[in-house]
Amino acid sequence: MQFIVASPIAITQYVFANAGLLSRALWTTTQSAALGFLWGNLTALFLAALVILQPRVERAVTILALVVFCLPLVATGPILRVIYGPGEGPQITLAALAVYYTSFLALRVGLRAVPQSWTDLMRSYGRGSWDTLVTVRMRASLPYGFAALQIAAPAAFLGAMVGEFTGAERGLGVLTLRSMRALDTDGTWTIALLATAVSMTVYFAIGALATRVLKDRPPLLLATPSQSQSQPIWQMGLSAMGLAVLVLVTWHGMMELFELNRFFAKRPADIWSFLVTGPNAESMRQTLWAALRETLTLTLPGYLAGLGLGAGLAMTVVMFPKLSALILPVAIALRSVPIITTAPLLILALGRGAVGTITIVAVMIFFPTLVACAEGLRQTPGAVSDLFRSYGAGRLRKLALAQIPAMLPAFFASARMAIPAGLLAVTTTEWLATGRGIGNLMALTASTSNYNMLWSATAALAVFALIMYLAAEAIERRVLQRYASEQTRP
Amino acid sequence: MTGQDIRCEGLAKTFDGSGPSVPALSPLAVTFHAGQTTALVGPSGCGKSTLLRLVAGLEVPTEGSVQIGEETPAQLAKRGALAMAFQDAALLPWRSVRGNVALGRRLARQKTDPALVDDLISRVGLSGFEDRRPAELSGGMRQRAAIARCLASQPELLLLDEPFGAVDAMTRNALNRDLPPLWRDRGTTALLVTHSAREAVAIADRILVLSPRPAKIMADLTVRPNLTAGQVEAALLKAA
Repeated sequence: MQFIVASPIAITQYVFANAGLLSRALWTTTQSAALGFLWGNLTALFLAALVILQPRVERAVTILALVVFCLPLVATGPILRVIYGPGEGPQITLAALAVYYTSFLALRVGLRAVPQSWTDLMRSYGRGSWDTLVTVRMRASLPYGFAALQIAAPAAFLGAMVGEFTGAERGLGVLTLRSMRALDTDGTWTIALLATAVSMTVYFAIGALATRVLKDRPPLLLATPSQSQSQPIWQMGLSAMGLAVLVLVTWHGMMELFELNRFFAKRPADIWSFLVTGPNAESMRQTLWAALRETLTLTLPGYLAGLGLGAGLAMTVVMFPKLSALILPVAIALRSVPIITTAPLLILALGRGAVGTITIVAVMIFFPTLVACAEGLRQTPGAVSDLFRSYGAGRLRKLALAQIPAMLPAFFASARMAIPAGLLAVTTTEWLATGRGIGNLMALTASTSNYNMLWSATAALAVFALIMYLAAEAIERRVLQRYASEQTRP
Repeated sequence: MTGQDIRCEGLAKTFDGSGPSVPALSPLAVTFHAGQTTALVGPSGCGKSTLLRLVAGLEVPTEGSVQIGEETPAQLAKRGALAMAFQDAALLPWRSVRGNVALGRRLARQKTDPALVDDLISRVGLSGFEDRRPAELSGGMRQRAAIARCLASQPELLLLDEPFGAVDAMTRNALNRDLPPLWRDRGTTALLVTHSAREAVAIADRILVLSPRPAKIMADLTVRPNLTAGQVEAALLKAA
């Protein structure tokens, strides 16, 4: 047991014995996280403002943003390391990448959260979208902005630490790796607790600031039902092809624009040649597919378990208000824990096998799903609850017929957001600890400078994440049309 | 300051959504006279608000045009000569009453005028509430603040889309009594959408009774000297 759990005394002793080292590492990681937090949120604000000002580009911007968000951080890290060279650049960029998409979604909801009469008011004075954005939408989006910043704080810390896992010289991530390799349980625990403490402090500080400014707590539900419309299959195919071309052109264009060396900055044509037309293409494809399959067999059970347990516990606690008062504040607080930083602890406890990895994926998904679903269950209109009470309906009947349909949009929003989160968890765990799957393949290819395979693995994982995301969106659309059509309107 | 006549020529609007097209307004020709307050009354969903939004330039007509003097609604709005009050007051919750009223001048690209803003707040009966936020006001008080915001830019054309629809009858009577002189005394042209025959008679110089959707003008009534709410209600019943 002493190899799994560190006692509070041991942790305190470790902190005192390594105070200088820990404080320098914490300062380095916090700096990277803070800069990534800033850049990620500024990018999110820019993208959200862009889709509000130019609604025609919304689908393309959203898909491009999603594709970039689906790039596995553990693979992006080594590539960025080569591009940036030594320094904090990769950590800052990974922190920004971990932050910008959720902030973009939240700000997009916030900038839209204005009554039509406010936009009509602006138009009646001949004011355009820019003035409406500056005068009305920006201020109206503040609650969502604060909520986005709250979620972004642990995400930025997580991104910075993943960046440090993949080849930095300093920081808490580097110390984590050292402690893990030395089987230093006290060190691993101390660093995980330190990362958690900093993230939670920032999370609660932003919450307190929000409560002071807004006179209310920031909203807990950030992602809204998907706004994409049902289309005929041929139209969906055409739009998917258009988006694929856009992604490939952007990929190639960025590489050329920054004149990145083709040795490490592979273009789409290089990957095509490596996987399709090259001399060893078939064997490369087999290697990639075997690793991907291994990863997916661990991701899917963890993903489904995290979603199911999160939604299930939300339903249970909502049926018993006393339980809800006890559990939900803890769940909201635990949502702020950068789970990946605790992955080494879970691996210590559960081992390097499938159970450990599946558990990490499930835990990563569990808390955000629980909070979102509990909040979704509370969205049941008061009049509907009164109606059930007036018929003397029991808790289960009310749950099944009124509360679950009200929860569905929040559940599906969680299911979509959980896909990149789950893949991040599984690849990081494979990279750090288990030596299996596509995370391990990426670690190996990064260390042997096999950039063709590294880019192929990155692209394969991003494509898989995108397919899963779009599939979840399609299921969401069908289910919500049937059970919660009034909640799917833009 | 007297505005210009508003001429609607062959004005029609059809809404195309995911379902079948919904014609909201039959092609209609009507002139709203400068300096007058005209009320549009008719059954729910008949297209009154659509007509008002077309005059405001908030909707694009399917057919026909709206001309205000030699200008389009967009041109009038651009030079800050148009103001509109909505059903829900549309006050920005983070601004005080004074901030919301002053916003009317800012949006109309006019210089700030604190004296005028305070005078308007006083004239709509909100003295002492200048620094309160909308959440601290009653529904009637919010509508008073919304009307003050409209008047702050001293518009040539005032559009009122059921601004008192959500307040109780007593407050509504008080608003109908207190507020119209504020724009009538300046000779502002006003268009009012309302469900209430009594309100139309209390506020307007002229009442147009519209048919159920798509709206057509079924009666054109002059209020003074002796039109009664009963006569307007009779015209409404006939139009339905």
